[in-house]
Amino acid sequence: MSKRRVPRLLQSPAVILLLLWMLIPLGMTLFFSFIRYVLNSLRRPEWTSPSIDNWRGFGNYEYVLNAKDFWFAVQNSMFIVGCILAITVLLGLALAVLVNRSFPGRGIVRVLLISPFFVMPAVNAVLWINMILDPVLGLNGLAVDGINSIVAGLREFPVLGAFFSLWPEFEPISFRATQTSAYAVIMMVAWQWTPFAVLIFMTSLQSEDEQQKEAAILDGASAWSRFRNLTLPHLGRPIAIVIMIQSIFHLSLYAEIEIVSRGNGNKNLPYLIGEFTSNNIGAASATGIFAVILANIVAIFLLRMVGKNLMD
Amino acid sequence: MAAVAQKSRFGNVFWPVLAWTVALLFFFPIFWMVFTSFKTDADAVKPEFLFFFKPTLENYTNMTENYDYWRFATNSAITATFATLFALFVGVPCAYAMAFNPSRHTKDILVWMLSTKMLPAAAVLYPMTFLTKNFLQIFDTHFLVILVLCLINLPIVIWMLFTYFKEIPKEIIEAGKMDGVSTWGEIKDILIPLAWGGVASTALLTFIFCWNEAYWTVRLTTTEAATLSKLIEGNRAPEGLFFGRLSAVSTAAVGPIVVLGWFCQKQLVRGLTFGAVK
Repeated sequence: MSKRRVPRLLQSPAVILLLLWMLIPLGMTLFFSFIRYVLNSLRRPEWTSPSIDNWRGFGNYEYVLNAKDFWFAVQNSMFIVGCILAITVLLGLALAVLVNRSFPGRGIVRVLLISPFFVMPAVNAVLWINMILDPVLGLNGLAVDGINSIVAGLREFPVLGAFFSLWPEFEPISFRATQTSAYAVIMMVAWQWTPFAVLIFMTSLQSEDEQQKEAAILDGASAWSRFRNLTLPHLGRPIAIVIMIQSIFHLSLYAEIEIVSRGNGNKNLPYLIGEFTSNNIGAASATGIFAVILANIVAIFLLRMVGKNLMD
Repeated sequence: MAAVAQKSRFGNVFWPVLAWTVALLFFFPIFWMVFTSFKTDADAVKPEFLFFFKPTLENYTNMTENYDYWRFATNSAITATFATLFALFVGVPCAYAMAFNPSRHTKDILVWMLSTKMLPAAAVLYPMTFLTKNFLQIFDTHFLVILVLCLINLPIVIWMLFTYFKEIPKEIIEAGKMDGVSTWGEIKDILIPLAWGGVASTALLTFIFCWNEAYWTVRLTTTEAATLSKLIEGNRAPEGLFFGRLSAVSTAAVGPIVVLGWFCQKQLVRGLTFGAVK
């Protein structure tokens, strides 16, 4: 009896803390999602405090489902996560294979490659949107200016000039605009997380069976077929884990979206919740419950995919 | 493999050059930030000073006046340190019990802990603000930031420690038990010294995650306990004219952490894959 009590006692602080952390705020969100609750209302001051008398049933959910931004935010959340996953996994695989061979300065290359992962997300966003992607002052604008002036110079040449005078003036792309801000976010997050994928794939590649590979080489298997039939199956589990971890992090992206365009043309569910929170708490909570449901669908799917591998 | 790698001379030059190029490209934004931090605000936006300019330390010496950097940095350091210590304090006994006295439910508890990480923070933002502001009166205090940072990192801390502890032979711990060592003695005198490397790298990684956290620290603070994330996010506005000082404060905010990160990149893999990739 006492044999079991000590381990239980040792686990209980952590379990209780996490349980409280999960249940109390989530319970409150659930409650708020069923009542009318706004922060400021001149017309209906009774709605400004959370009370069971303001019961609204599924009214908040209905309101949110009909809000014009909701479906856009859901789609955009999935779009951003999907693009980032595709880029990081594919680029990560290519780079891991590239860095896995031995060459001079490999240690330094590894250090350079992993660095972006440790940059604070807020700094990442401020750095990219201002100093790199800004269409006037950033490197984006300067590079386009440079190309334009080179083309302008080439137009002066006698024969070639006729060809270059057909070229248009290039315009730098503004990444704060409605149509492009999602791409800016994808770019900066992919920059930060590709190193993570590289690091994990590289670690996994080092445990690959070298003899099997050499045997395949002696059998005359091409580099591509070796990668396809030996390396890729070996990387199955790391790929699943990279997808899982990144989905957890990217479904709740916020700082980048806020900094790039304040959600202009590029909202995800957390950002929409943030917008509702400025006044309509009922709607924010209902959106929150939708976000929890979405995260759970993704989580169940992902844990199925990797869960059985995690414990052995 | 070596015999085959020699095969092509073209490949011997091409692949390393490509690897170096890609690595430099990835590092370039960080390099550019550090590079720009040595330009004055005026020089930083002039194309003629793009690569050649008169370096100055002005941005760093003025950091206190421009941004009150040290106050935010102190807050970051305090909250990240105590959150890490607190998470270890709660996590070590828990992981110890799970690794050496697993029950039928250990596996489920571990997966459940991981699932708390998947709860979208935004969904519980208002309840947290409401509770801490109106009810507990701890909004914008170091205590709150430490508590929240600890809680969001606790699942990863426990998972990491669990994978390290599992590698220690059970017999060693059991021998201690035979000699009549108390549970606390087992943890302090046997477990921690044996798993020292694992505990240290867990601590280092947790510290990095706490330092970089940008959702709760921004939204649960105003001035008193505001961390570096808040400082940077507050200065997101098109500060085109202040690239120099913005770079300097960004460099100061991420520099130490990137260097710390270099030292624990191997452990990072283990920590974030929950021991599944070694």
